[in-house]
Amino acid sequence: MTDVDFRQDRYPVSGPQTTNLADILERVLDKGIVIAGDIKIDLLDIELLTIRLRLFVASVDTAKKAGIDWWENDPALSSRASRNALQDENRDLRQRLDELESNEENRGP
Amino acid sequence: MTEPDAPSDTQATYVFAVCRNADLSAVAELPGVTVDAPVTALPLGKLTAIVQSVRAAEFTDEAWQARLSDQQALERYARAHHEVVSAVAARCPAVPLPMATLYHGEDRAREALSQEEGRFEAVLKRIERHTEWGLKVYATPSSPVDTAPAPVHRVTPTGRSSPEPGAGLAYLNRKRDVQERRERSTDEALRAADLVDAEVCRLAAASRRLRPHPQPSADRRVQVLNATYLVDERRTGELALLTQTLRDRTGAQIELSGPWVPYSFVGEVQP
Repeated sequence: MTDVDFRQDRYPVSGPQTTNLADILERVLDKGIVIAGDIKIDLLDIELLTIRLRLFVASVDTAKKAGIDWWENDPALSSRASRNALQDENRDLRQRLDELESNEENRGP
Repeated sequence: MTEPDAPSDTQATYVFAVCRNADLSAVAELPGVTVDAPVTALPLGKLTAIVQSVRAAEFTDEAWQARLSDQQALERYARAHHEVVSAVAARCPAVPLPMATLYHGEDRAREALSQEEGRFEAVLKRIERHTEWGLKVYATPSSPVDTAPAPVHRVTPTGRSSPEPGAGLAYLNRKRDVQERRERSTDEALRAADLVDAEVCRLAAASRRLRPHPQPSADRRVQVLNATYLVDERRTGELALLTQTLRDRTGAQIELSGPWVPYSFVGEVQP
């Protein structure tokens, strides 16, 4: 075969610019020409990996549906939660004040 | 994270692609998979490997296992690999290697890759002037709106409402109709997928069916076809036209992605 110059605009291949991760993964992980490397890397089967990634994404969704939304009430993770934390503290303090005041009245002079 | 036989200063060679008439201008600015060294060319004789020197300790199996469990890390590496491969292939004929092909240094990489020169040449010949196009077909489930009239309630003398006789049967019939409609629309979508695949195959040099992706739960569509095709560059316009024609003909949602470096069509080539 004669050497043909495929350079520059004559070989205009490029990856699509906006591509989703799954499309890229299914190509870079288990496609391409497989040449044995020196360092044995056991990349998961793409199916297992997809499931794992899907669980990762789905878990947030599922947990919300199941009402397991602890992070929404964790002040470190949510600004709404930090507002709630202040309101909670406020309420607790009021409650304790009420209790103290009523104890004070019951004891009487 | 170091291994006993891989002190932190030991280098390994990461290979992205093997190409002919290497043109590095497109990759010189790309970060690749590490910030420690630039992406460079490694001459193999008639061909050239596109490589990067990395710290061996950061590219052990253990390190990759950790990356595979971390979506952000995995995405970063997958995109970095893909970016270099795409940039190289945009400038010269190139054979993509899968992510994480690593050697103990450049000499070992040259030795191992040179042995495969026949395969690389065969692949280059096959994908010459061809690109890969992904095509997905989606079924949109018909909306589960119930068209049957609402069950009539009668008021008993005690004032309590109770269903009309036969309401249970009507309910079951309605349920069965919904189920049948759903099955019909899935069947139609699968038939549309087969038709689309058959039509595009006639235009393509080769095709592969990939596993359909599960859709996010908010997306009610069902992916019924995830296929990829090796298409002659000169027929790219035809492919776009055909896709539109098939959209009109089947009413199915069809997504076309590409051009991709032909990752899916280099694995099975024999020299």
